[in-house]
Amino acid sequence: MTAPSPLIPRRLVAGFVAGFAILAVLPVGVELSPYAHNLLTSSFIMIAGVLAWNWMGGFVGQVSFGHASLFGVGAFVSARLMLSVHLPVPACWLAGAVCAGVFALAAHPMLRLRGPYFSIATIGFGEISRQVLTYWERFTGGASGLSLPIDAVLKYQLYWWALGFAVLVALASVAIRRSSLGLKLLAIKADADAAADVGISTTFYQDVIFMLSGTVVGLSGGLWASYFGFIEPSDMLGFDRSIAFVLMAVVGGIGTSLGPVLGAVVFVLVRTYLLASYPELYLGLYGLLLICIILFEPLGLTGLGLRVVAAVQRARRRRSREVV
Amino acid sequence: MTLLVARGLTKRFGGLIALDDVDLTLADREILGVIGPNGAGKTTLFSVLAGSIRPTSGEVMLAGARVTGPAHRTVRAGIVRTHQIVRPFGNLTVFENVLVAAIHAPGHGETRAADRAAEVLSFVGLSDRAEQLPVTLTLAGRKRLELARALSTGPRVVLLDEVVAGVNPTEALAFAALIRRVRDERGISVIMTEHVMPAVMSLSDRIVVLDRGKRIAEGTPQEIAADPRVITAYLGTEAAPEDPPEAAPEAAPEAAPEDPQ
Repeated sequence: MTAPSPLIPRRLVAGFVAGFAILAVLPVGVELSPYAHNLLTSSFIMIAGVLAWNWMGGFVGQVSFGHASLFGVGAFVSARLMLSVHLPVPACWLAGAVCAGVFALAAHPMLRLRGPYFSIATIGFGEISRQVLTYWERFTGGASGLSLPIDAVLKYQLYWWALGFAVLVALASVAIRRSSLGLKLLAIKADADAAADVGISTTFYQDVIFMLSGTVVGLSGGLWASYFGFIEPSDMLGFDRSIAFVLMAVVGGIGTSLGPVLGAVVFVLVRTYLLASYPELYLGLYGLLLICIILFEPLGLTGLGLRVVAAVQRARRRRSREVV
Repeated sequence: MTLLVARGLTKRFGGLIALDDVDLTLADREILGVIGPNGAGKTTLFSVLAGSIRPTSGEVMLAGARVTGPAHRTVRAGIVRTHQIVRPFGNLTVFENVLVAAIHAPGHGETRAADRAAEVLSFVGLSDRAEQLPVTLTLAGRKRLELARALSTGPRVVLLDEVVAGVNPTEALAFAALIRRVRDERGISVIMTEHVMPAVMSLSDRIVVLDRGKRIAEGTPQEIAADPRVITAYLGTEAAPEDPPEAAPEAAPEAAPEDPQ
């Protein structure tokens, strides 16, 4: 058994570039229905968010069930800045992202926990944040939420903002995974104490990654707020949303650099379909899917894809042998 | 020249005193053996020296500077440990395991880290396994990897926790030679604990004996083998050579042949 090569296959790179190019010109060439525009844009935002979740949950192996709090903080800070300070919209997004990143540092005391203990602590982190933002009515509007002025042009353009953002985060994921930082994160994931014993400061790197992850998730929260124009604490910071990050990563392939992209796309599509057709079944079906993935293919769709590729290669080799 | 000095190291776990006022010195380029029956405090001593646990009292000085931990800082100061039960990073290749440890080595950029990792791998004889995962290695191979990972941090002192234990006799001999080369070729001082007595006796310049957290003897291997306090600690007071080794089931069989009486 050899380790998977850290190089990404050239064909995959070509696929990503082609996909990006097609998506970038799609709204120009074809008139997208608002429904399709909506699906694609929310997929892009979710792709960015789940990739950043995966830095902590996949690379470091600290599965967070509290990332909705960062998503929510990013969204509410940027929305509040748009409403009250009237800064340019991108500046509001950035400010929201920075706040979410700083807010993520509040999770520092939890970093001495590992595995399920960390996960449980993050549930508390998320729920506390939700409660605080729900009752902080002057800032978040409380249970009635905040409505942003409708800006059709911005909403249309957000397709490209979100697409560009998702691509940047994907590139960052690959860069982190292949850098010496990524190597350290994987060492911490494998054995935090042994990592410390070879000179890696485990809390420092977890702080850094949690902060970066929080910044990106906060920025996706800001884009989300601008796109949908209405945000409300119990939805933005809801436990559902935290679980969604975990689900998307697990479905796509937790710990792989780009697997969560697939997870996010499938999640957004399936969720929209299920919510429209079987709203009462939707979470149950997700639970079932999750159990199947963990039992049969821990690397999710990425693992499944790798298996198919391996099977095709085997079949091809067999055929070429028969020809000879 | 004295490289490392530990003064009055004491570690209490609740009511249990795992280390009781232990003093220790290590000369530059010395191989120091630390022996003692099970539960004597050897691993606790290593954890304190490596900075993974904080002593209740006492201090460790490396080349005149105080070393206080936590572990990652102690490593950068120049003290690194290996683990008795090997702990390779299972998700990294053999090469990456060593590389990730080499990154922090003082005064070396990333390209240099790769060179250093490759050099250390060839030093321990694992170059041909570089691209494989640690699970493919035998226990002896994983112990070599553990040593390589420690060496690639660029240490001045390496703490080897039972590196020879559990490997077959041929590999044990090869390991002993490797440990000597760590000192002779790389100029690194070594503190090793070991239950395999022939290995400690032949490798160590000096031996310290721990029993129930206290240092009970110190001297050359010959002196230690003849020391009545050591024999008592290992075999009990009534021990005769034909007695079944009940007092120290693991250590006694290896200790007995070294016993000149």
